[in-house]
Amino acid sequence: MNKFRFLLYKDFLLLVRDKAGLAMMFLMPVLLVIIMTYLQDSTYHAVHESHIPLLLLNHDTDSLGATIEKQIGQPGIFDVHKTINGTPVTEEALIKAVAQGDYKVGVVVPEHATMHIRKNVKRYVTGAFNGASLSSVADSVQVAIYFDPVIKSSFRTTLMSTLREYAVRTESDFLFNEIISEVNRLSPVTVADIQLARNQVKFKEQYASMDHPGKMPNSAQHNVPAWSMFAIFFITISLSGNIIKERDDGSYTRLRVTPCPYSFYLFSKIAVYFGVCLLQFVALMLLGIFIFPWLGLPALDFGISFFALALMCTSSALAAIGYGVLIGNVAVTHQQAAIFASISVVIMAAIGGVWIPVFVMPHVMQLLSCISPLNWGLEGFYAIFVREGNWASVLPECTASLLFFGLCIGAAIWYNKRKRIDL
Amino acid sequence: MPAAITIQHIKKTYRGNPNPAIDGLSLSVAQGLIFGLLGPNGAGKTTLINILCGLRAFDAGEVYIHGYSLPGQLREIKQLIGFVPQEIALYPMLTAYENLKVFGGIFGLRGAALDRSVNELLVKFGLEQSKRRYLKHFSGGMKRRINLIAGMLHRPKILFLDEPTAGVDVQSKNLILENLREINRQGTTIIYTSHYMEEAEMLCSRVAFIDEGKLVCEGNPAEMIRHSPGCASLEMLYLQLTGKKLRD
Repeated sequence: MNKFRFLLYKDFLLLVRDKAGLAMMFLMPVLLVIIMTYLQDSTYHAVHESHIPLLLLNHDTDSLGATIEKQIGQPGIFDVHKTINGTPVTEEALIKAVAQGDYKVGVVVPEHATMHIRKNVKRYVTGAFNGASLSSVADSVQVAIYFDPVIKSSFRTTLMSTLREYAVRTESDFLFNEIISEVNRLSPVTVADIQLARNQVKFKEQYASMDHPGKMPNSAQHNVPAWSMFAIFFITISLSGNIIKERDDGSYTRLRVTPCPYSFYLFSKIAVYFGVCLLQFVALMLLGIFIFPWLGLPALDFGISFFALALMCTSSALAAIGYGVLIGNVAVTHQQAAIFASISVVIMAAIGGVWIPVFVMPHVMQLLSCISPLNWGLEGFYAIFVREGNWASVLPECTASLLFFGLCIGAAIWYNKRKRIDL
Repeated sequence: MPAAITIQHIKKTYRGNPNPAIDGLSLSVAQGLIFGLLGPNGAGKTTLINILCGLRAFDAGEVYIHGYSLPGQLREIKQLIGFVPQEIALYPMLTAYENLKVFGGIFGLRGAALDRSVNELLVKFGLEQSKRRYLKHFSGGMKRRINLIAGMLHRPKILFLDEPTAGVDVQSKNLILENLREINRQGTTIIYTSHYMEEAEMLCSRVAFIDEGKLVCEGNPAEMIRHSPGCASLEMLYLQLTGKKLRD
């Protein structure tokens, strides 16, 4: 056991003296978690608070133009401009400005739009009251919307549905007013001008939870586990590099001549890097709990079972370490290990659902995600953080991760014996 | 003198290479000798040392070290041997003292005994002043010396040295050879490979020439020269026995 203590001492010193490696293992995950949570948090609030620069060319001087202007001018989504550097805007100038990316959206309300829509609505209502059949496509009003080409289709869809909601509101206002005016014309009793009560149907948004109904998971609950898993798996670069370096500089050969079993050598590395993973995880948890609120981000709520969290953290860390040990044993050069480790971790993260939720992936990718250790880790942490699960609910993910660790270590020992030790 | 090492008809062929690296070699090294393994590049010296240290398997034959057989009693053998590889097999990001402490500790030295052994050898090899410096800042000669110390910290019964003076200046070489003689006087058998014939002639009590995995000749250097007409030095004898053909 004393020999193991000296190996541990050596591996600890090698780790703490590798400043670049330490920065990669601690600073990068912290930055990654902050940046990704910020991004997702801002995306979550994008439609409501993002102040997208919008250039409006309103040729309609009547109520449709005024209503659209009023609706999109409400504080929140859009930052509405009607001139370019003080110069009144033309349609050509609007297209050019949006195409250049000076404005993300351009809206052109055509001339006499209100008159057309009012005429259409009046025709429908009068026709309906007189029992005539209705033509639904005649004289529709076309409001032109230009988008900056860099805007992603998902964001464009969100914006379009918001603009459509405004248009439907305006149209329904007109329709309602026309119906009142037609009723007043036909009825001896005057109907008062009613303010249309909106949002008759209300949606109560909540996540299904057995224990805490009404509790809403936030971007921290999603991002901290996802990016922590990513960071934990990135130790494979440092760990595999450490193993290869020792082999390259001959110190591993010298160690093999000492009366020290290979298992000691391996478990010393596992112990040191396990400590690193735990520290990484604790640092990211503390970041989520204490620093996120300071940065204006939602605080992390780490669920109800500390034991489940410890279990999940241990198994994920061991899965990452096993993978690093395997790469370190199989790869021939440091560069080979670094490139393979980083790319494979990115791929495992991608198919594991770190960036895109697994349920929106194509079926084949969903099947593939089941073999990603990052997916097991992620699902386990979601079970704790978001679904408030206990140790039993993370048992399948923990078992899979531990089996993966065992498999990797077994394969590493076998490969090392067969290819390198030659005994 | 009882044998420190007994090698009987060992063979070793590497995968993918039809020519054997060691081809039925037999050799016996008595305890307390400084024994030189000499031969051209690719002769099989390093392979033989690796086999004796338990780093490589052999295909046939028998090897005994202080009566323990390889590979069956490798654990016992590892307690008896020290190894100084050709490359500087230490950690550049650790200080000289830390490197020695780690390897001494792994060899079973503890506490005051470990400190004493480390400090004594650092003084002997003129590195005491530099013991807190990282190895990466050492000169080539200093690295060679610390590499040697790491192999002999635990006072092994047999010390294997694979070209311990390669690329060092005269002063460092002199210090290394002096210390090797001293630990040999204290009872350590030294198995030593080198390309420096003059150095081997001065240092070794016996030498063996190996070529193409076979033992060509073995004996006391002075006697071997005396019994070889026309050879005034070990280098001349070496060339006479192994030829002038390049071994690439």
